[in-house]
Amino acid sequence: MGDVFVVIEHRQGEIRDVNWEMLNLASQVASDFGGEVVSVLLGSGVDDIADQLAGASSKVLYVDDPVLENFNADIYQKNLSALIDEHKPTIVMIGHTAQGVDVAPALAVEKDLPYLTDVIELRGEGGKPVAVRQYYQGKVNAEFSFADADTYILTIREAALEPIEPAQKGSVEKVEAPAKEEAEHRKFVEYVEAEIGDVDITQSEMLIGVGRGVREDKNMPMIEELAQVFEADLCGSRAAVDAGWLPHDRQVGTSGKSVKPKLYFAVGISGAFQHLAGIKGAKTVVAVNKDPNAPIFAEADYGIVDDLFKVVPKLVEELKEE
Amino acid sequence: MKMSVENQSIIEKLDLLGCIQCGRCTGGCPVTVRTNLNVRRFVYDAYQASLEDLMEELAQYSEIWDCTGCHTCAVRCPKGLKPVEVLYSLRNQIVESGKVEPTVRDALESVFLEGNPWGKPKATRFDWMEGLEVKTAEEGQEVEYLFYVCCSVAYDPKLQVVAQNMVKILEKAGVDYAFLGEEESCCGSEVQALGEEELFMEVQEENVELFSSYPAKKIVTLSPHCLSALKKYEGLEAEVIHYTQLLAELIDEGKLSWEGEFPKKVVYHDPCYLGKQNEVYDEPRQVLKSVPGIELTEFDRSRERSLCCEGGGGKMWVETESQQERLAETRARNAKELEAQVIVCACPFCILTLDDAVKAVGYEEEMEVMEITEILGKVL
Repeated sequence: MGDVFVVIEHRQGEIRDVNWEMLNLASQVASDFGGEVVSVLLGSGVDDIADQLAGASSKVLYVDDPVLENFNADIYQKNLSALIDEHKPTIVMIGHTAQGVDVAPALAVEKDLPYLTDVIELRGEGGKPVAVRQYYQGKVNAEFSFADADTYILTIREAALEPIEPAQKGSVEKVEAPAKEEAEHRKFVEYVEAEIGDVDITQSEMLIGVGRGVREDKNMPMIEELAQVFEADLCGSRAAVDAGWLPHDRQVGTSGKSVKPKLYFAVGISGAFQHLAGIKGAKTVVAVNKDPNAPIFAEADYGIVDDLFKVVPKLVEELKEE
Repeated sequence: MKMSVENQSIIEKLDLLGCIQCGRCTGGCPVTVRTNLNVRRFVYDAYQASLEDLMEELAQYSEIWDCTGCHTCAVRCPKGLKPVEVLYSLRNQIVESGKVEPTVRDALESVFLEGNPWGKPKATRFDWMEGLEVKTAEEGQEVEYLFYVCCSVAYDPKLQVVAQNMVKILEKAGVDYAFLGEEESCCGSEVQALGEEELFMEVQEENVELFSSYPAKKIVTLSPHCLSALKKYEGLEAEVIHYTQLLAELIDEGKLSWEGEFPKKVVYHDPCYLGKQNEVYDEPRQVLKSVPGIELTEFDRSRERSLCCEGGGGKMWVETESQQERLAETRARNAKELEAQVIVCACPFCILTLDDAVKAVGYEEEMEVMEITEILGKVL
């Protein structure tokens, strides 16, 4: 009782960042529930992962079995269910990821336990959790309390919390898999790797948007250098794509892709309406354009009214110095 | 020939039984220079297969999304049929099955939730009125001309001037007019083109009800797309016209004249939704000719033969995969050959695509794309 389970997500020998974030949250709240942080690792032959986790948890509960070699929500559910019965943790944290939300709701329903998704804050009050999640695309934070139960299942948002710095030496307990049978309804087929070199601009956090203002193909290396120092991906308006400066899958707008980067840096984009509609998900928009009346400035958080051929080299220079 | 009952109904519903497979539709279809679209073939196939087979097979052809809804096929059909309808019907079946591109899904969802396809909030639809004294309609009080503003004009910061200048022109002419208030919502033109027939019916029903609360002798649209959509509405009593029709009439009656000059060479691009679909060819030209100083020239391909800009038929939300030059770019090159300084047009979608095209071919320093009302705003 009182322990905080952190269900570890790993793939092909690699641990995802959300695990370290969940472990940090778990270490902050475990004392509220009067228990310890327990990493729950389901896998096959992943001893080195277990060792890494021991640096960030009081205990690693490591279920090692060939049936767990690849993620399968059905098999995970059965094993987690048995471990919950045996260890009776107060909190079970699962990443709010594609894998996590594949298993967490079914587990909560099976065990008839209180369940909250996409949690960004958590504390314990009187041995019970109080959690925060968001509404209206992050405009409203809502606080949740729960019905009485022995165990509460929460999925935790990725990249919302700081990762833990491993600083302890927890124990590793290797246990027999409570459920070893293959899943009845689904099976793992294969990993399909994304093609190398392919950039999915809808997932990019930093984007440089190229417009007709760049004028000619031979000016693209200057923009590519800017992208390099920003560690950003390149995309563009329809006019820039039509001019052949960028491949079609880099086109942003109503007939191309909608993007949602943290930073959208528009270079020489005047802001055709169909382009602007594609960047409305961007958190911060910075625009460089020599025309102060360019519609892009209506969307921009920061604007530079100047010749991009003066601004971009200067920016590259400054950023390189940093 | 096998013909199932369902299949009969689709061909019958679309009134395509009279097709003689002459091929004038495909022969005149403007996008055939860029894509594999062959509308005659689709009409033929629609006779051949049962509906289910048809769906599975024809849904694989991405070119059904290449149609720009220009209606050249309908204009050219010697039997007076509308071959384009078969493509819209196929799109409808695909949308119904849920297999649509995210761009199309987002546009449709936005119409459903916010009353416009651009993903803009309903609450900001009338921001264009800021700083202007605009007469808005009052429930139950009849006006002569009730204005219907297109979503693109309402939200695009570059096109808002169309509505703003229209207000100034109407004030100058002393016309009994009103704009719809906050209840105005999308006309559904592109919704129907994207195949969401059910949503179009819903939009139609809501708009017909809305118009019944705001009686008018005539409804005047700023966009030819709205004109086409509203004219299809069942149960709409008022006559629907395009603003160029009203302005031509006012000029003709001497109620409207211009103070300034616009000494530039301009070429008028016929919007398909205004020309081919509604046969409004002369009025925009009359309005332009009334502007002092203007030199109006014509494309070789004008009026019924006008080259489509590819902005209609939902194409603002679906890209055509083609290495061939866009038709709007061809249009820009033609304008340059004519030494036109301005391509002038009377449709927001044409403006959006032509504006992009002028940039794509690198003429932005020497050539402008303008809406007719933009020119009128300069000579008021």
